[in-house]
Amino acid sequence: MEHTIGIKTLADLKRIQEEVRTRISLRDKAENPESLVQVKVAMATCGIASGAKEVMEFFALELDKRGIDAVVTQTGCMGYCFAEPTVEITLPGREPMVFGYVNPKKADEIIEQYIKNGELVDGIIPQNYNTIES
Amino acid sequence: MVTLGMHMIDIVQNAILAQAGQITITLEERVADALLLFRVEDDGSGMDHRSLERLTDPFFTTRTTRRMGLGIPFLKMTCEQTGGSLRVTSAEGKGTTVEALFRTDTPDCLPLGDLEGSLLLLVMANPAIRFRFNYLVGKEAFLFDTDALREQGIDLQHPQMLIPVKSYIRENLELLWRQRAPESYLC
Repeated sequence: MEHTIGIKTLADLKRIQEEVRTRISLRDKAENPESLVQVKVAMATCGIASGAKEVMEFFALELDKRGIDAVVTQTGCMGYCFAEPTVEITLPGREPMVFGYVNPKKADEIIEQYIKNGELVDGIIPQNYNTIES
Repeated sequence: MVTLGMHMIDIVQNAILAQAGQITITLEERVADALLLFRVEDDGSGMDHRSLERLTDPFFTTRTTRRMGLGIPFLKMTCEQTGGSLRVTSAEGKGTTVEALFRTDTPDCLPLGDLEGSLLLLVMANPAIRFRFNYLVGKEAFLFDTDALREQGIDLQHPQMLIPVKSYIRENLELLWRQRAPESYLC
């Protein structure tokens, strides 16, 4: 954790922003802009109470640290309250995949195996199925 | 919900679902009265009279994915268990204000938790919304306005700004918390 002390004013934040900008421009050149991973963390009452905040924070910080261009955002309750925190991940050109019982440890596994290599990990909730209406 | 930060995400999430463009979060420690006011104001779609009446009913929800809605009932429970109260006002097409009053001189008062982290995740995930976060202790105040930060060129969507902005908020809050009365159970 860098920059954790001595940030009291907007001017301090501005200074840090300058540093971040130079770093990001170096990274942007090396990477492919179309490879954007979408991570949606379910954050309704059920998700929040089960620790979705820690999971979202983990994805936001770790995906950046590991050099994966991703959009980390929030979504509402998908109805899988029993399996919270749940996370929906969409890899470029693929169907969205929902993972349940995600904690930072599980999130790490998801990044390393599913996001990086496309390998499935335990805890998938079959969301994309069809039902026969009677 | 074990912290006020969790309630904050939850109530703000309601405002986001109501398509708010501007959300103001206020936390005010009224030191002399041993009270903490937690308020979320939005300019979203608001609610009709019927919804407002059933708001604290845990078996009322507008969602279709499940049959209960516990966000508001939980907040009502946690503030009432300190001897406080909940008040929700809403006008259709104008917005909603949720106000919870907590007594801070009882150990039943919820810990604040990770307010800054909770706030920043909301800010990061909703770039189109202007968030204002006001924290007051007595006469001292800390104001955080996403528009003011953006004007300074600070990119609140950048993951590498998450930790610096978090510590910016934390350090300012810690300065305020020194004004707190010693008998306060807030932490």
